Amino acid sequence: MEKHEALANATHDAAHAAAHHGHHEAHELPNLLAILKEHFPDLPGLDFLLQWQNIFFSALAALLISAVAIRAARRKSLIPDSLRNFVEILMEGIAGFVTGILGEKHAPKHIPFLGTLFFYVLFMNWFGMIPFMKAPTSAWSTTAALGLITVVYVQAVGIREQGFAHYLKHIAGNPSTLVGWLLLPLMFCLNIILEIIAVPFSLSLRLFANISSEDRLLLKFAELNTAFNYMPFVFQIFANCLVILFSVIQAFVFMLLSTVYIALLLPHEHEHPEHDEASAHAH
Amino acid sequence: MEFFQTNIIPAEVVVQILAFLIVFFTLRKLAWKPVLESLEARRSKIRGEFESIEAAKKEIEALKAEYAASLQKIEDQARAKLQEAIDEGRRISREIQDKARLESQATFEKAKENLAIEVAKARISLRREIAEIALDASEKVLREKMSDDKKQQEKILSIIEEMEKAL
Repeated sequence: MEKHEALANATHDAAHAAAHHGHHEAHELPNLLAILKEHFPDLPGLDFLLQWQNIFFSALAALLISAVAIRAARRKSLIPDSLRNFVEILMEGIAGFVTGILGEKHAPKHIPFLGTLFFYVLFMNWFGMIPFMKAPTSAWSTTAALGLITVVYVQAVGIREQGFAHYLKHIAGNPSTLVGWLLLPLMFCLNIILEIIAVPFSLSLRLFANISSEDRLLLKFAELNTAFNYMPFVFQIFANCLVILFSVIQAFVFMLLSTVYIALLLPHEHEHPEHDEASAHAH
Repeated sequence: MEFFQTNIIPAEVVVQILAFLIVFFTLRKLAWKPVLESLEARRSKIRGEFESIEAAKKEIEALKAEYAASLQKIEDQARAKLQEAIDEGRRISREIQDKARLESQATFEKAKENLAIEVAKARISLRREIAEIALDASEKVLREKMSDDKKQQEKILSIIEEMEKAL
């Protein structure tokens, strides 16, 4: 009971603290830094960390992933131990999924990027649910950074795989008829907006909106717990289950869309003419 | 625009980009590549082992068939040799029988000849004995009395004839 009140108080104080900094109002559970600020307001460096808290927790997520993955990767033996086995299952699952979309030829180059993106986003999402942690993906700055990286990566892949001339032609809407050439300026602008400007916006806003909503959800359910004293943790457990699920879905969607963007910019294979014909008919 | 300004902090975006790039390059080099490579190596090793097992199985099958064939061949040969030996035995026994029959025939013939010779010999020696006896008898008769010559001669002649008939 006391804990819940403390939680509520801390939330309240964190809201005040945040309001002081002018970043945002309290709409998530208090994290380690906010609690420290409440109890030891004069701790050196704390204000700096609070100001950069998203980066602080991103770095924690990055360290966690790197530590586990590198530790597992170092254990080279014919029969893998449990940690290695676990990491292998995750990596192989991602690799299989990406290969299914990009094909055997192109997938191996992009698996590390897409896989890292997935696990990084996933752990940052989950941090919103872990006590004293904060989900850095509930801030648009974090997701915007990821969206920008993705769009740059995708366009770079497009240029490298198709060649710059083909890439330009693709951006110009592959003009082949007179109408196509007449519409070139329009198509060019449209494709620039669609593929270069809209992509990071859609990726980053989707993730940011979903995860910040999850955080609000967690906060509201925690408040419900304090309101109904006879049902401690029931709401919280329910909310946690939802957050576990939605965090996976959001990380997966981020990776899936990035994979699809890459797939759309890969040169079209002409090895299966009947397949191309079928897809042309479908269009 | 206000939403944009309150939510996007350019410096944070830049640092987040750098953070992700560091994580990405670190993990690509130290985690993804080694793990995926070792997975591929393991996969190819297992595939190779399965293939070699399959090959060994086929080899064993071939060897088995070969052994079965050679075993059958050996059996056939043994049977043929046995049959040959039986035939040879039969032939030899027939030969032995034939030979024995011929030999016994020859022995029989020879014995018959010997018997005939012996009979002839006996007949000759008997004749000689009879002649001697006859001479003895005639001597006796002559010594007794030669009164009635004619009668005596006839008597002697009849005795000789009787003797000849007896032979």
